[in-house]
Amino acid sequence: MSKYIIPIFILSVILISLLKRVPIYDCFTVGIKEACKLVFNIFPYIAAIFICMELLTISGLSDIIASWMAPVFNIVGIPSELSKLLMLRPLSGNGSIALLSEIYLMNGVDSYIGRCASVIVGCSETIFYISALYFSTTSIKKLRYAIPVAIISMIIGAIIACVICRFL
Amino acid sequence: MNTIFFILTSASICLLIYTSPDMILSAMIDGVGGSLELAVTLLAIYAVWLSIIEIMQQSGMSAGLSKILNPLTRKIFKGESEEAYSNISLNLSANMLGIGSVATPLGIKSVQLMDKGNGRASDNIILFVIINCTSIQLIPTTIIGLRVSNGSLSPADIIMPSLLATTASTICGIFLCKLCSKICNYISKNNKKNTDNALAIINNTSR
Repeated sequence: MSKYIIPIFILSVILISLLKRVPIYDCFTVGIKEACKLVFNIFPYIAAIFICMELLTISGLSDIIASWMAPVFNIVGIPSELSKLLMLRPLSGNGSIALLSEIYLMNGVDSYIGRCASVIVGCSETIFYISALYFSTTSIKKLRYAIPVAIISMIIGAIIACVICRFL
Repeated sequence: MNTIFFILTSASICLLIYTSPDMILSAMIDGVGGSLELAVTLLAIYAVWLSIIEIMQQSGMSAGLSKILNPLTRKIFKGESEEAYSNISLNLSANMLGIGSVATPLGIKSVQLMDKGNGRASDNIILFVIINCTSIQLIPTTIIGLRVSNGSLSPADIIMPSLLATTASTICGIFLCKLCSKICNYISKNNKKNTDNALAIINNTSR
């Protein structure tokens, strides 16, 4: 069912554009030009985050920080297996998906840990990546309280996810 | 961002010097290589979706869609331009449907439109970024797909908990945002009062 939603959506957009006599070829060239400009502008920010990520994972620093954080997360009810996931999630989308498959293999998909991990990845976003991109094309240099608030809400979401998974 | 970047990179480089110093440079170059790959895939995705969004904008479909959502966005983000509202509405609806590749270019555009050009993130911009960061996706399709391919017996079990956790984290984010902006306003007001007082005292003593 869900695999038909996007094709139908695109088809209906094109059909409606036909009714309204929108120059669709021109729209595509404009859109692609915009995409080129956008990717050109955000590339430096993506590259910088990727350098940081690569160093972090190769040096093993992320494992060390995760093992430090585990007892703290344990106090608030997050299993220690998930501390590395919580650490990686704000930094990298692909990285956390890879780690999620690893957790499935280690603990089982339908286990408590597996379900918790799914919900945590499902209810959070790559905070650093999003904030880097969103502020990249603006004059804004002072992010003020944006990142701390985002991380605190992510952790609260994770705590609630672990509580809910215990009962459902 | 600069502080976080400095701490993370310098700490990992120190650790690498201790364990395997020949990996440092290759890791950094690999990082840029990976980002190039991502940029190419992103370019392809954005090119398609931005074209479709352009069609929607020219045919008036996005205006219709944002008319439905506008009362809500207008309530959350006060005092922005009409164009910003329509972009924000489209971004939020793409986020709810879980099409992140559509949401990102729209989000970047919305922040551009909300930017007042004074180098400081306004409360509205921060609130918008936080709502994007806490994920408001209704059904986590990627994760469900991953669970299916890993042989889960009930892959859709996580929909309800995800929805609840997402709602909780988003509400918490909005609440903390409002709280922080109140605190910031209070501090800046107090600072102003203090400088006013100081000026008054200086004036009095000089008299």
